[in-house]
Amino acid sequence: MPLTRLRSQWDALRLPDFTSDAWRGVLISLVVVGYALGIGYHLTSWAAGVAPALAWRVGYHASIVLCYASLWLLLSASFRQIDRSPVRLFLYAVLAGVTYLVLASLVQALGAGQGLLAGDGNVAGLDYQRRVPLTIAAVVKVNLLSLLEVTFTMLILLLLRSLVFYRRTRSSLFNWRLMMGFFVTAALLTFMRNPADDLGGVVALAMIPAVGMAVVNSFRLSWIVYLPFREKMATMGLALVLMVMLGFSLGDGVLPDVSSYTRFYSFPLSVFALLAALFGILYCVTTMLSLLFHLPTTGAFQRKADEVAAIQSLTHLISQVFDLDKLSRTIVASPIDAHSGDVAWLLLMRPGASEPLHLQAVQGAAAADVQETMDIEALFAEVQETQDVLLLDEAPSDRRVRTHPDGAFESLLVVPLLARDDVLGALFVAKDVRYGFETDDVKAIRVFAAQAALALDNARLFEERLEKERMHRELAIAREVQQKLLPQQIPSLRGTSIAASSVSAYEVGGDYYDFVRLDDDRLAFIVGDVAGKGTSGAFYMAEMQGIFRSLSRQAPEPHEFLVAANQALNTTLDRRAFISVVYGILDVGREEFRLARAGHCPVALIDLYGEARLLRSGGIGLGLNEGALFEQSLEVCTERLQPGDVFVLYTDGVVESRNAAGEEYGYTRLKASLQEHRHEDADDLHEALLCDLHTFLGAETYDDDLTLVVVKWHGLPIGVSSPVPQASALSLPT
Amino acid sequence: MSTFSVSFRDANGVRILDLHGELDAHTASDLEESIQQCHAEGNVNLLINGTDLDYISSAGLGVFMAYVEEIRDDGGDIKIAGLQSKVYNVFDLLGFPVLFDICETEEEALARFEEPAPDAGNASS
Repeated sequence: MPLTRLRSQWDALRLPDFTSDAWRGVLISLVVVGYALGIGYHLTSWAAGVAPALAWRVGYHASIVLCYASLWLLLSASFRQIDRSPVRLFLYAVLAGVTYLVLASLVQALGAGQGLLAGDGNVAGLDYQRRVPLTIAAVVKVNLLSLLEVTFTMLILLLLRSLVFYRRTRSSLFNWRLMMGFFVTAALLTFMRNPADDLGGVVALAMIPAVGMAVVNSFRLSWIVYLPFREKMATMGLALVLMVMLGFSLGDGVLPDVSSYTRFYSFPLSVFALLAALFGILYCVTTMLSLLFHLPTTGAFQRKADEVAAIQSLTHLISQVFDLDKLSRTIVASPIDAHSGDVAWLLLMRPGASEPLHLQAVQGAAAADVQETMDIEALFAEVQETQDVLLLDEAPSDRRVRTHPDGAFESLLVVPLLARDDVLGALFVAKDVRYGFETDDVKAIRVFAAQAALALDNARLFEERLEKERMHRELAIAREVQQKLLPQQIPSLRGTSIAASSVSAYEVGGDYYDFVRLDDDRLAFIVGDVAGKGTSGAFYMAEMQGIFRSLSRQAPEPHEFLVAANQALNTTLDRRAFISVVYGILDVGREEFRLARAGHCPVALIDLYGEARLLRSGGIGLGLNEGALFEQSLEVCTERLQPGDVFVLYTDGVVESRNAAGEEYGYTRLKASLQEHRHEDADDLHEALLCDLHTFLGAETYDDDLTLVVVKWHGLPIGVSSPVPQASALSLPT
Repeated sequence: MSTFSVSFRDANGVRILDLHGELDAHTASDLEESIQQCHAEGNVNLLINGTDLDYISSAGLGVFMAYVEEIRDDGGDIKIAGLQSKVYNVFDLLGFPVLFDICETEEEALARFEEPAPDAGNASS
C-alpha cells in the first residue's frame, strides 16, 4: 500500500529539536532579520515609488516565507509542552482573538483615509498593480497587520492541534501533518503572485485537499466525552465566540482589508492564514455540534467515571487497610458515591460472637431506621442460602420489608460477600424509587461487593495471623516456664549416679520428674505423666510439682505420700484427667529403694549380672478414685540395693513410641538395650538408651512427651561411711 | 492418622458400644460424644466392646472416667469387655480393673449386668 508506506515515511520523519537553545537562537534571528528586511523593502519601494527589480522581489518574498516559517517553528516548539484542559485552550484562543481584533483595529486606524486609490482590489494606501505602498502609514500597516493576522491564525492552529492530538494515534498524527502539508503547498503555489490577481485555478485545486483534510481533522473530538457538564457548556460558548471572531478575520465586516494587506505583504501567507482560519471555523462548528449531542449523555458518563473511581478507591483499600470500621465505611460509601443507591449498609458475620450478625455501617440513613423497616436477618438468610444477589424491585410488597414513612426503601438490593466459598456478610443497597436498580447498577454493586469481600477477607486473615503469632509467643513463654519447673540440677547422693531428661512433643507437655534430697542418706524421686486435654496437662504438672516439693518432706514414705497426693489432686483435677506417677525413696543408709506405682509404667530394674525385671506393684492413677480404692490397691515395693543395680524410670513416651512401620519400642527392646549397656554409669547409660530409641524410631521427633530417668547404685566401699565421689549431679538439656 | 469409630447395638436392655481403631487424644472426643448421647437417650447400662480396638492412650482412658460416676448415680454402669491383651495392659497399668468391671467376653459382661450391684458399683462411692 503506497499510503501506508507514505505514513511510515512520515513517521520516520524526525524534525530537529527546535526547543534547543541553539535552534531557538537561529530561528529568532531568522524571524527578526527577515522581518526587518521586509520593512526595509517596503520603505525602499515607498520612497522610490516603483516596485524594485525582479531579483529583489524574489529575495524579499523568499525571506518573508523563511521568516514566518521560522516563526511557526518557534511557536510550535513552545506549544509542544502545553497540556491544558479543553476549556482553557478555547479560552486562550478567544483571548488571542480579542487581542488580535483590538490591536488590528488600532493599527487600521493609522492614517485612515490617506492615499485612497480608486479601483478594484485596491486598498487604502496601497497600489496593488504597481506593488508599492503609497503612504508611510501604509508601510506600517502592511507590516504590522500581516504579522498580527498570521500570528493569530498560527496560534489558533497550534491551540487546536493540542485538541486534535488528544489521545493521539499514528493516523491522527499523519492526518494533521498531511493537512499542514496541503496548507503549505497551496500557499507556496501563490509565491510571487500579484496581490491584485485572483487565486487562480491551480491554487483553488490545491486548496481542495487542504480543506478536505481540515474537515477530517475537525472530527478529532474525543476529548469531548470526558468533560463534565459545566465544562461542556463553557466550551460550547467559547467555541461560538471563537468561530465568530475567525469569521470576522476572514470577511470584510469589522476588520476590512486586513487580509488585503497580508496579501500585499505576501500572497502565500495570506493563503495560509485563510486556510488556518477556515480550519478554525470548521473545528468550532464540529465542536459545538458534538457538544450539543453529548450534553444529554454527560450524566451517564459521569456516573461511570464515579463508579470506576469508587472501585479504584476500594481496590486501593484492600492492600492498605486492616481496620474493619474504616473498611466498612468505605464499602458502604462506594455505591452511594457511584450513584448506584441512596442508602447502603453492611451486615457482617462475626463467628463466635453472641450475636453472629452485626450491622456494621450504614450510610444515607439511620441504623435504627433500617432495623425497624426490615428484617435484615431474614433477607441475609436468603442470600446466604442462595449465595446470589437478591433484588426487590418493590421492596415494601415483600413480607420482610415494612413501608417506610419517607419511602426511603422502595427498591432493595442484597449482595452476599463471598470469599473462598464463605459468606462473610452482605452489602445492602436501597433506593427511594421502585424499580430503581438497572442491570448495570446491579453489576456495579456486585463488583463493589466482590471487592469488599476481598478486602474484608484480607483484614480477617491479617487478624487471624496476628492472633496466631500471639498464641505462639504465649506458648513459648509457657514452655520456658515449664522447663524451669523441672530440676535444674540433680542432687548428689553417695554411691549413686543419676541422669535424667524430659522432652515435650508440643510446646508444653504433661511429663514431670523431680528429686528432693531429704537428708544425707535419702533422696525422694518422682516421675509422672499427666493425662488431660491439651495444655491443661501443663497446669496439672505444675500442681504436681508443688505437691511433690512440699509433701515429700512431710510424708516422705511412698504410701503416705501417694495417698496424700491423691487426696490433694482429687479436688482439683478435671474428671477425665489423671496423673500416673512412680514415687520412691532411695535410701543409701539402709541400702534399699522403696517405691510405689500409682498407675504408672513399671520401673525397670537390671542387676550386675543382666537379670532384668519390671517392678509392677499394684496401684491406680492419681485422681481416678477419691480414696478407699486407691489406698487399698496401692502396694509399696522395697528393693535391696546391690552394687551395679540400675533403675530406669520413664513415661509411656518411651515404650509406646512407634516407628514409621507402626511398631512400638516396647519393653523387650528396652530390656535388651539395658542389658547391653548396664555396665556404663548413669550418664552413658541414659544416652545409650535414648540413642537406641532414636535409632529405632528413625527420627528425633516424638508423638508423645518422653521422660527418662536412670539411677545407678554403685555401692559403698566396705567400711566407708562418708560420701564417695561416684555420685554425680547432672543437669541435662532437653 | 489414626482412625476411630463407634457403632451401637442393643442386647437385653444393655447398650453395646463397639469401638474400632485407635483411641487417643484426637479421637477421645468421638467416644465422649457417643457415651454422652447414649446416656442422654436414657441408657444407663453401657457395655464397651473393645474387640476391634487396636490402641488406647491415656487420654482415651480419661473418657471412661468422665461419665462413669453420673451413670452409676443413675443406677447403671459402664462395663468393658473383649479387650485385646495389649490394650488391656494399658487399662491394667493404670489400675482400671479396680475401678471398672472388665470382662473377657461380651456374654460374661452381659451376665454381670443381670447380677445385683457388684463390687465395682460400690467402689465408686
